[in-house]
Amino acid sequence: MASRRIVSSEKSILEKDDTDFKPKDGEKSDIGPAVPAHVIYKLLGFTAAMVMGPIGSYFITLNLLFGGNSTYAGALAAIVANVVLMGYVIVAFREDQSEAIEAAEKEKKGK
Amino acid sequence: MAENDYAPKFAPFFGMAGICFAMTFGCIGAAYGTAKSGIGIAGVGTFRPDLIMKSLIPVVMSGIIAVYSLVIAVLIASDIGPPPNQHYSLFKYGNITRRVRPDANYCNSGFMHLACGLSVGLTGLAAGYAIGIVGDMGVRSYMLQSRIFVGMVLILIFGEVLGLYGLIVALILNTKSRG
Repeated sequence: MASRRIVSSEKSILEKDDTDFKPKDGEKSDIGPAVPAHVIYKLLGFTAAMVMGPIGSYFITLNLLFGGNSTYAGALAAIVANVVLMGYVIVAFREDQSEAIEAAEKEKKGK
Repeated sequence: MAENDYAPKFAPFFGMAGICFAMTFGCIGAAYGTAKSGIGIAGVGTFRPDLIMKSLIPVVMSGIIAVYSLVIAVLIASDIGPPPNQHYSLFKYGNITRRVRPDANYCNSGFMHLACGLSVGLTGLAAGYAIGIVGDMGVRSYMLQSRIFVGMVLILIFGEVLGLYGLIVALILNTKSRG
């Protein structure tokens, strides 16, 4: 969106009162955050998985699964890190596709 | 602890140096990759905020470089112990010493741990450098031409694999150092 100039005939923000800020009838004011919640949850989830996944799987499987063989546990940690990466690539790919589909549908409805 | 040519008192220094090199070099690479591709993401995000999610892939890959270094550092650190239970040597001891002193656990070796740390650290540095440059230019180009995405991810994966090779060599060396 291009930047808007302040037109002198328009009321400045100090001159406006509450009625000017009221949404029109049947219209709800947009109070949604700029970044949707599901994106935040996805990013938080991947951050947690990246921080705790590999090193956690190393220490959990070291004695439980591999009987103290730390080489296998270390290899598993590396594999878990790559699995998280693969998951992120897939999610990012689908995310953009779903957004493109939504945009296309909106365009159709607009027409 | 018997002081001899194979297990001098300064032998653990090399193992500790391996830990330090693994972590520092790997994190230098990861930091460069994150920062350089972060510059690109900041440049793209101001024009096309919808591409940020896809553009974050190089940052995630740089994070994995640091995970490789962390794994090797933890592996080496778990192998180093004080003398009563463990004896730390420069090289692996042969079977002769085992026969003479069966109670001695001479299987940890400083030079091998140093090689472990250096291999994973320096390949991580190389991989992080590649990811940083490719990530920066890749996301900027992706803003203009969407078909470059698959190519960008492939190049990033090939850059990432360099760090994985270092990890594999380091894991093999670490296994061998235990005998």
